[in-house]
Amino acid sequence: MRIGRYLALALLLLLGFSLCLWVRAQTFVQPVSVLMPAPFADATAELVGAFNRSHPRIRLSVTRGPLETEAVSDLAVSSLLLGDSPYDLLLMDVTWTPKYAAAGWLEPLEGWLGAEALADLATGAELGNAFDDHLWRFPLVADMGLLYWRSDLMDAPPRTPEQLEQISRRLQAEGEVNWGYVWQGRQYEGLSCVVVEMLRGFGGHWLENGQPSLDSTAAVKAVTWLRHLVEAGITPPTVANMTEPEALQVFQAGDAAFMRNWPYAWAELNKPESLLRGKVGITTMVSEAGEPHAATQGSWGLALLAGSRHKAAAVEALRYLTSVEAQKQLNLNWGYTPTRLSLFDDPELLAINPVLSELKQALSDAVLRPLTPVYAQLSDLLYRDVNNVITGGILPEPAMAELQSNSERLLVTAGGLT
Amino acid sequence: MRWKLWLLMAPALIWLLAVFAAPMLHYAWLSTQAQTVLTGLQPRPVGAQQWLRLWNDARFWQDTWQTLRFSSASLGLEMMLGLAIALLLNQPLRGRGTLRTISLLPWALPTTVMALGWRWIFNDPYGPINQLLRQLGLESAGFLSDPAITWLTAVWADTWKTTPFVALLLLAGLQNIPADLYEAAALEGAAAWQSLRRITLPLLAPYLLIALLFRLAQALGVFDLIQVLTGGGPAGSTESLALYAYLNAMRFLDFGYSATVMLGSFAVLLAVVGLAALFFQWSRTASEELR
Amino acid sequence: MARLALLIWSIGPMLWQLYTSLRPTDALTGGASGERAWTLEHYLQLLQGDPPFLIYLLNSAVVGASSTVLTLLLAVPCAYALSRIGRTASLTLSLLVAGAAAFPAVLLFLALLEVARDWHLANNLLALSLPYAGLSLPLAILLLQASFRDIPLELEEAAVMEGMDLWQRLRWVLLPLMTPAMASASLLIFIFCWNEYPIALTWLSRSDLLTLAPAIARIGGSSVYTIPYGAFAAATVIGSAPLILLMLLFQRQIVSGLTQGAIKG
Repeated sequence: MRIGRYLALALLLLLGFSLCLWVRAQTFVQPVSVLMPAPFADATAELVGAFNRSHPRIRLSVTRGPLETEAVSDLAVSSLLLGDSPYDLLLMDVTWTPKYAAAGWLEPLEGWLGAEALADLATGAELGNAFDDHLWRFPLVADMGLLYWRSDLMDAPPRTPEQLEQISRRLQAEGEVNWGYVWQGRQYEGLSCVVVEMLRGFGGHWLENGQPSLDSTAAVKAVTWLRHLVEAGITPPTVANMTEPEALQVFQAGDAAFMRNWPYAWAELNKPESLLRGKVGITTMVSEAGEPHAATQGSWGLALLAGSRHKAAAVEALRYLTSVEAQKQLNLNWGYTPTRLSLFDDPELLAINPVLSELKQALSDAVLRPLTPVYAQLSDLLYRDVNNVITGGILPEPAMAELQSNSERLLVTAGGLT
Repeated sequence: MRWKLWLLMAPALIWLLAVFAAPMLHYAWLSTQAQTVLTGLQPRPVGAQQWLRLWNDARFWQDTWQTLRFSSASLGLEMMLGLAIALLLNQPLRGRGTLRTISLLPWALPTTVMALGWRWIFNDPYGPINQLLRQLGLESAGFLSDPAITWLTAVWADTWKTTPFVALLLLAGLQNIPADLYEAAALEGAAAWQSLRRITLPLLAPYLLIALLFRLAQALGVFDLIQVLTGGGPAGSTESLALYAYLNAMRFLDFGYSATVMLGSFAVLLAVVGLAALFFQWSRTASEELR
Repeated sequence: MARLALLIWSIGPMLWQLYTSLRPTDALTGGASGERAWTLEHYLQLLQGDPPFLIYLLNSAVVGASSTVLTLLLAVPCAYALSRIGRTASLTLSLLVAGAAAFPAVLLFLALLEVARDWHLANNLLALSLPYAGLSLPLAILLLQASFRDIPLELEEAAVMEGMDLWQRLRWVLLPLMTPAMASASLLIFIFCWNEYPIALTWLSRSDLLTLAPAIARIGGSSVYTIPYGAFAAATVIGSAPLILLMLLFQRQIVSGLTQGAIKG
């Protein structure tokens, strides 16, 4: 009897003790949650696993966001508006930074990462992470607009708009391809990226000293050229509904000689089953003589949410995911362009990705879209109007004049404030 | 006794007020505020600024026109097709039950689901419709990339989804028309189309009216379909008022203006319904005077 | 002829989705794979996804069921009272309810978003039935009120004579007679909730809690650069299968429910 009682007591103690241990363990393991667009969630899965193994006190989990950039933004925004966002870190497109920072949703990173955090980044990759004297975001992968060309159909890529037209016409006349050049012309952010590159290529700017200059001769010329491509039959009219996947679909089927797209298409085009494996080259966008070959900077970076309850753990995860080793893996296994300078000269990577030096070049030519909290509105005005030009609904000149006055008014009366 | 009845109704009525009336009152207040990223998402009173902005916003008026255009086209098509389908389903056919079920299916599917489906079906150049056109030796058409055509694509998709609902309502109306009316007309030697015009249509009028009212409000608030199918493009030619309000809130974080746009859309809805009601009143009295 | 046209019009697009969902991705663009290749990869991809696709069906079912129950709880007493309260009051209230039924729900999303934030109702499937009940109440009230009117007053008077109070009459006399009407109303409410998009889009941000409509709009492929048409199509098929089943099983109730209520209400 007695022994039984002692035994029960001991068991009870043991149970209580392990309960305490369990509760302590629970409080020690800090959950960190990241929202990423679906492709990044797949690409980082291995890294996340490795991180969790090496950091037993942090449990990093990734939420697969939607496919389209704007849909990810909608999801992030609605979760932030709802308060108690379920996320600690957010993988953000470069254009969101000022808006999210102004809304008070982000935690400045300079205090966590140090003032020199951006020192190790490749030229071009450091852009668009800071706003209003704070660092809000650390780039995970670089992304910039590239011109893809068929190396089996031509010796060298075109460098000017005229050359691009000539080569296209010749190849179309010879029946090698149906179309010359496909790009992103749908009414959405991708069109703004295309326009940014052409603006610079023709010597224009979106904003100059904070003021729009979209009715400049250069800007009108740039947009006129885009419409001209459609009229001349070099670009199919359906470009007005094309996003990156549709453009790649046409290019990958061998139906076009040129394509504007982001670095990741390189990996898609060189897959073993691809028709175009080894027949594609990349370079920067065409431009008029004397103007820069601009590449729209579209990097994705991690930001820390102000509402996060585990900031230190989240920063730990951010450091890990953006480290040199992690970026190397992302490039080796998934073809994502690194942002760390040293990786562009890494012999191991160069052996597998010979285009890395072209990418570095393109990155150093990177152009940023305007850094302002009202960027979404500005860009919305731009892609609506330019899309209208592309479909032939309005002539370039009146369209750009209208766009200019609408953009000016937006900057004055944004949000109903005067 | 009466107070007990009111007590029974109270929860539902309060619920309705909370879900429908309270938001409208909230918007009325919000439309006098600036609440955007530039104010750190805090409301700041700005008087009638937002309403002035709405009045001068060409895009709001363009979207109003486009929403009305979309609604009238798809309503017209739905009424005609719905009537045709209802007449067909009202005939004593073999397998009528199955046919009814099948024709009702499009209405039961989520809008977003089929909107994605249409995006693929109308894809240029790889979608089936354009492939079919090419095989017939025709040019492929920019169903989703030509501003002159795309809004019709949206009308098509909307019509496909909602016609069954209209057909169902009209079918109910047809079944309530006594068969001896037709027999009498046939005895008098009336042709089929005459009895359709003189018996079916007048007796079906109230059903048509109800279908019209229900569908009108839904069409004026079209959102899911447009957002998934076209995103408002090309060149903003399919953007609806509801989508514009959504963009202002969720993309531009401009809540004061979003509320103003919603109230503006609501005013448009009221105006259209009011006009329609007036018109029906007028045509009713006119026809009575004729008699 | 006309029947055939109707058939093609109604299920043609759905059959095309079924076909697309069974074809390999590159075959869709006339790519390398054999002409006759068929595949289940899109279904496997969805079912093994993270979270698995079936969870969205479950979420939609949970929201649909809870909203239907809540709506009926609110609508049945209201419809009964409306059918008994006398002509003027009933007409005015019915008009208001009809007005609410014709109200475009999408206009409410911003205000409802703030409600969700202030009362911490976001990311909660059961809480989602609060606005859903509000949105489907008008239709439910109109449908049920018409059926209550069809029940002869004498029946209730007889029950009063037997000394039954209001609650007992509702429970033992009226509700049994209302079963068919309630069944068809529930089906309609359920279908509405199953398909609702704008509010689900703003109230749910956790991916494992999404309902079907926003989940489908958010399907991600394995890369940004290929459109997962096959996966979209497979999602369409899986997502509509339960509803098609429901329609096949209950088409009589749905038809009769709509035809009765919508007109007389």
